[in-house]
Amino acid sequence: MTLWDGLAEAFRLLLRGDPYLLDVLRRTALISGLATGVALAVGLPAGYALARGRWPGRTLLLAAVHTGMGLPPIVVGLVIYLLLARSGPFGDLGWLYTPQAMVLAQVVIATPLVVSFSTASFQSLPQELDDLLRVLGAGPAARCWLLAREARLGLLAAVMAGFGAVVSEVGAALTVGGNLDGSTRVLTTAIVLEAARGEYARAIAFGAILLLLALAANLALTAAQQRER
Amino acid sequence: MEVHIAGLAVRRGRQTVLSVASLRIGSGRVTVVLGPNGAGKSTLLRAVAGLERCSGEVRFDGTRQRPRLAMAFQRPVFLRGTVRSNLWLALRLAGVPVADREARIAEAAEALGIAGLLERPARRLSAGEAQRANLARALALRAPLTLLDEPLAGIDGPARRELLGALPAVLRAGGGTVIAVTHDPGEAALLADDLVILLGGRVHAAGPASAILAAPPDAETASFLGWDVIPAEGGVWAVAPGALSVGNGEVRFTLVAERLTVVGGLPAVAGRVAGVPCVARLQGGPPPSLGEPVTVAAPRAAARWFPAGR
Repeated sequence: MTLWDGLAEAFRLLLRGDPYLLDVLRRTALISGLATGVALAVGLPAGYALARGRWPGRTLLLAAVHTGMGLPPIVVGLVIYLLLARSGPFGDLGWLYTPQAMVLAQVVIATPLVVSFSTASFQSLPQELDDLLRVLGAGPAARCWLLAREARLGLLAAVMAGFGAVVSEVGAALTVGGNLDGSTRVLTTAIVLEAARGEYARAIAFGAILLLLALAANLALTAAQQRER
Repeated sequence: MEVHIAGLAVRRGRQTVLSVASLRIGSGRVTVVLGPNGAGKSTLLRAVAGLERCSGEVRFDGTRQRPRLAMAFQRPVFLRGTVRSNLWLALRLAGVPVADREARIAEAAEALGIAGLLERPARRLSAGEAQRANLARALALRAPLTLLDEPLAGIDGPARRELLGALPAVLRAGGGTVIAVTHDPGEAALLADDLVILLGGRVHAAGPASAILAAPPDAETASFLGWDVIPAEGGVWAVAPGALSVGNGEVRFTLVAERLTVVGGLPAVAGRVAGVPCVARLQGGPPPSLGEPVTVAAPRAAARWFPAGR
C-alpha cells in the first residue's frame, strides 16, 4: 500500500540523511521560521496596541485582522507575485522566485494570526496591570515587553499558530517561489512535485516529514509554555 | 505636592459620571475622598493619575506636567514572580537607585507586616496579604503624590484593625501628598487630614476632616456620614450618630419604640422618628413600652438644622 510505502520511505530518507531531503528541510525551517519571527516582531506590538488602545478605527482594524486569518495563501501569493513581477511596482527588487519573496508572502499570511492571538492574550491580563506600569512611568515599549512576559502562554500559542500556518501552506510558496530545486523548494512544494510525477510514496514521505517538523517545533514551544505555568 | 483640579468632567457615553468645578488637595496632607459605591471616587483618582479621558485640568504644583506617581488599585495586581521582585520592578521603573531599593523594600515590608511574605509568589497571596503587598509597593516609592484606591479592601477582622492602626503613621512617614479613596466614614475619620465628600459624581464638601465630620454642610453629606436625618416642618434635622437618648433635651423628637437593643455596649431602644429608623440610648430609666411613643432628644451641639429648599 502506498501509504505504508510512503512512511517507510520517510524513515529511509531520514535515516540515510538524504542530502536532497536535508536541503529542503533546512530551507523550509529557515523560511518559515524567519517569516514567523518577522510576523511576531510586527504582530506583538500591534496586538498590544489593539488590546490597550482606545482610538477610532480600532474595532474596524481588529475585524480586518480577524478576516486576514482566513486569507487563502494562493491569493496572498498572487498579489505578491503581481507586486514583485518584473513589470510590477517592486519588480526592480528582483525578488520573484527567491526565498525572500517566500518569506514576504508567509509574513503576510502569519501576521494576522499572530496579531489576533496576541490581542486576545494581552486583553486577558487585568487592565490595572497596564495602568500600574503606565503610572510608574513605563513607556509603551517597556509596557509591551513586560506584559508580553506576563501573557507568554497565549503568545506562544500565537507563535505556534503562525508557524503552523506558514510551514504547511503551498499556494503562496509555489506562486512566488517557483519551486526551484536548490533555491526555493520547500517541503510542501516538493510534495506537489512528487505527486505530479506520480511518485506517491515519496510525496507521502515528504508529507510525513513535514508533520514531524511541525511536531518538533510545537513540542519545543509547548514544553516551554507548560513549564511556565 | 499640591494638586489643583479645575473644571474636571468625566463622561461615559452621554452621562457625566464625575464633575468637579474646583478642588485643591493640600501639599503633604492625607486627603481622603469619601463616598458611597458608584460616586465616582475611583474615577477621580484615575483622572488625577491620567488614566481617564476627561475634560478640564489637573495641575501639580501649578504645572500640567504629571509627576511620577505611586498608585495602589483597589484590585491588587502583580506580575509573575515574588513579592520582592514586584516591589523591585516598581522601584526600578520609578527610577529609584539600585543601592536604595533593598532598604526601601525592607522598610515598606516592615511597615505593612509583609516581611515574611517577600519571597512568596505574589499571585499566590491571600486577599488580605495581596492588599498589604499592594500598599507596600505604592508606599515604598515615597512618591511626591501617592494615590490609594480603597486601601483596606479585602482586609477583615483583626488584621484590618491592626492595619488601620498602623496606616496613619505609615502614610505620613514619606512626607508626600496622599489621596486615598474609601466608602467607609470610620476609616476616613481615622486616616484623613482633609476630607472630600463625593456623592453622585459631585463634591459635596471639602476641607479639614474634623470640621466636616463635626458639622456636615448638607443633609446628604450628614446622611452618608451616618447621621439620622429626620424630616421636620420647614426642613430636616440631622443628628450625629449615637447622640439621641431617651428623655428630655435641647432638640426633641417623638420615637415610636419597636425593640430594645444594645449600642456601644449600652442598652438602647430602636424605633422610628417621623418614619425614619433611629436608635436612642436609654438613660437608666425604665425601658419604654414597645409600640408606644417616647420622647427622645439630642444636645443642640450634636444636631444640625437644614432648612428646606436649599
